Amino acid sequence: MTNTYIRNAIWAPTGETCDVKIGPGLSSRFDSLGGLTTCDAEVHPAGVLTIPSEAHCTDATGKIVMPALFDLHAKVEVPGRSKRESVSRTGQAAVQGGVWGMLVMPTRGFMFDNYATLDSFHDAVAQRSAAEMIPAGTISMGTEGRQQAPYNTLAARGVSILTDGDNVPDNLLMLHRAMKYAAELNLTFAIRGDVPMLSANTYMHPGTTSYALGLHGTPACAEEIGIEILLRLARDAGARLHIQTVSTARGVESIRRAKAEGQSVTAEVALHHLLYTHENVGDYDTTFKVVPPLREQSDCDALLAGIKDGTIDCIVTDHTPCTPFDKKQDFVSAPQGATALDTFLPALYTHLVKPGKLSWAELVRACCTAPLTIANPRDDESDEAAGIPLLLFDPEPEFEVTADSLVCGTLNNPQIGTTLCGQVSLPL
Amino acid sequence: MKPRKDLLTIGSLSTEDINTILDSATAMKDIFTKSVKKVPALKGKSVLTLFYEPSTRTRSSFEVAAHRLSADVTTFTVSTSSVVKGESVHDTIDTLMSMKMDYIIVRHKHSGIPAVIARHCKAAVINAGDGAHAHPSQAFLDAFTIREKYGTVAGKRVVIIGDILHSRVARSTSCILRRLGAEVAYMGPGPLVPLQQHSGIPRFTNWDQIFDWKPDVIYLLRVQNERMDTPFFPAGDYHQAFGVTEERLARIDDLNLSIMHPGPVNRGVEICDAAMDYRNTLINDQVENGIAARMSILYHLTPQTQQHD
Amino acid sequence: MPTLGQDALEAALDDWAAHIAATCPTGEGKLALIGVISHGDNLAQRLIRRLAAKGIQARYGALDISLYRDDFDMKQSKPALRSSYLPFSTDGLHLVLVDDVVQTGRTVRAALNAIFEYGRPDVVQLHCLVDRGGRQLPICPDYTALRLDAPANARISVRLQETDGRDEILYT
Repeated sequence: MTNTYIRNAIWAPTGETCDVKIGPGLSSRFDSLGGLTTCDAEVHPAGVLTIPSEAHCTDATGKIVMPALFDLHAKVEVPGRSKRESVSRTGQAAVQGGVWGMLVMPTRGFMFDNYATLDSFHDAVAQRSAAEMIPAGTISMGTEGRQQAPYNTLAARGVSILTDGDNVPDNLLMLHRAMKYAAELNLTFAIRGDVPMLSANTYMHPGTTSYALGLHGTPACAEEIGIEILLRLARDAGARLHIQTVSTARGVESIRRAKAEGQSVTAEVALHHLLYTHENVGDYDTTFKVVPPLREQSDCDALLAGIKDGTIDCIVTDHTPCTPFDKKQDFVSAPQGATALDTFLPALYTHLVKPGKLSWAELVRACCTAPLTIANPRDDESDEAAGIPLLLFDPEPEFEVTADSLVCGTLNNPQIGTTLCGQVSLPL
Repeated sequence: MKPRKDLLTIGSLSTEDINTILDSATAMKDIFTKSVKKVPALKGKSVLTLFYEPSTRTRSSFEVAAHRLSADVTTFTVSTSSVVKGESVHDTIDTLMSMKMDYIIVRHKHSGIPAVIARHCKAAVINAGDGAHAHPSQAFLDAFTIREKYGTVAGKRVVIIGDILHSRVARSTSCILRRLGAEVAYMGPGPLVPLQQHSGIPRFTNWDQIFDWKPDVIYLLRVQNERMDTPFFPAGDYHQAFGVTEERLARIDDLNLSIMHPGPVNRGVEICDAAMDYRNTLINDQVENGIAARMSILYHLTPQTQQHD
Repeated sequence: MPTLGQDALEAALDDWAAHIAATCPTGEGKLALIGVISHGDNLAQRLIRRLAAKGIQARYGALDISLYRDDFDMKQSKPALRSSYLPFSTDGLHLVLVDDVVQTGRTVRAALNAIFEYGRPDVVQLHCLVDRGGRQLPICPDYTALRLDAPANARISVRLQETDGRDEILYT
């Protein structure tokens, strides 16, 4: 097989114009079980490559070449559909949104607290998924927060990150012991900052909207205190900590301080926490019911600043499929969560890169290299983009996000009805 | 008033609509003085009361109102067991649609449920209280009672005292009163008066501030212990700190202020016994006016059950 | 294009009052004029003033018949209700229902239903300012000040000083 070439594209990590040589056997095939794919492509500054005249060459002036995205926080299970279909649809959605791989949260249907579930999940992914899916093991059996999961077994199946998904362990003693145990297995704990006692029976950020709608508010201090608890527990236990879906300005502040003190901690923010505030809930729009809740504009700004200065390592989708039937219920009864994989890169570009809030280099770090490093702490620091498939992004085309354009299987994507920019080509 | 299907919140109504409903309520109240206390306006129409929360008062008020308009009234008993079983609102809505009801009066502990039902039903849906969100018929009867007492709502000062956080009454009644030109203030225990969440409504912390403000109406809310799984304030202090005690009643009497309460009252908590018999206590007027206000609401809504499409 | 101006209306009311004086029992407290809101109430008051000038005492009442209509389902705006004013028992009285325009007869039917909830009058008569034809019910005015055989799509609007600032009957 011959090589193909892409000419005059912009290499997102540096902003330089580049030419790309693509060799055989790359891009769309992934080897499974947590090992990352190597990809046979070379990126060179423009003019360095000699392109044979007979070779297939695409001119990509004005387009972006970048490593495909890795999402550190996604749920694959689509309620009401089979596990295989869930895997298949989520994989398609990811590729459509420029995401080649993701860390999969444990959910009721994918309870990664035993080797059998992990093995069958790996099989399903190998057979059905267009994207790489790495399962996160559970902290506790059934994510119920009582009995620790079998960490040695999970680690032997390739698990490197432990999380109880949407649940936050409220038994701190259990968590402290889990951290001490798992630290020796080189596992990372991924948990959201929360104090369940403060956030029980609350449905959104407390403010003018929650007051008008008569909904109980989740105080920001629940997350702030929760983050402090996690930081101190992990430091004491010597565990590596990843703080999930930070939503508050003070939460960012705590993480910034811990990092300055040299603690081994990373953090993520969900895209919707950068783009929306509690006011988007409007008149009980359940699409914007998420946990933690959408907060104030000042929180959005602090989160973005956190990404830019590296306090927040990555931007994730927190992709959570919910059926239209469930989301049509009243705000209190409806499940939390929004989907984002289908539109991830176009939404990131349209709302953050295009208006100048985030550079391409920052986006590559937050959505590609940093999440990969967190998901694979055992890999030595290698060349930034090596092993990751490349994608081509054309920022020009505009498209309207409609129910038909989503492939993930549910319709709870807040981008529906909006116009986004950008066309993703993955694989190249 | 332009045809509208549902009454879910006060905020969704124009000031003109509010005045129309209040004006009609006056005419409805005149019917009570006739020997025949019934008019045929809703003859042949069916009204369903769907209460997921117990409320004898509001439910019977709506039922009397519907009867006086000659409607047929059905009481849909939502057993707590079917709620526990997890029957979703959608399943209930399907059942209601099959019953071909024209008006559905709904109360639920979750905010926003009436809106969900209204979206999926052709029947006119009236929110009879949803969570801490809205209670528009209560707002109408309160505004009507103040208008009846003072001739106008505009320019009056009303202080609402008690559990603002959990109170749909506080939200809807303050909304209608302010729309009609009244001034509203809140007073209550700290954790029960959300700060910075309601603009334009001053918040007082004690009775001296209230008296200095020179209100016309003292509006007491019920202390709703049933809505609090974890207590919000010390149990023994409420009456002394926030209730109408006999000393405060003397001052209220001096200043000729009115007392209102949506009921049912906790004697000895928000209000002392003597205040129940005070000459300017409008609590019984509120009950009677509730029927007139609800008749007017029923009259002015237009179900889409008659339209063929 | 006003069909009838103020002078013509005044003259019509004079004739109307004269007719009532001539045909209705004028004994002690026997006669009551009940106007159908709106306009009918104003007409009734004007007639009562004219009768008073003749030395005839008639009681005044007004009815808002919106709650008795049978076209309640129509998708039209519902104006605010007005209070009916009938501060006396109608038992044994001679009632004259006063309406501005009679067309289908449905308003009159509603008014009849409403009026019987206030007692049992001896006689109920229907008097109207304009009878424009187009009846849908077996109802016939006992007195008509002005007869207009108007096509169904014609608009006849009565305006009165008290509510609209001037007296006229428009026929378009």
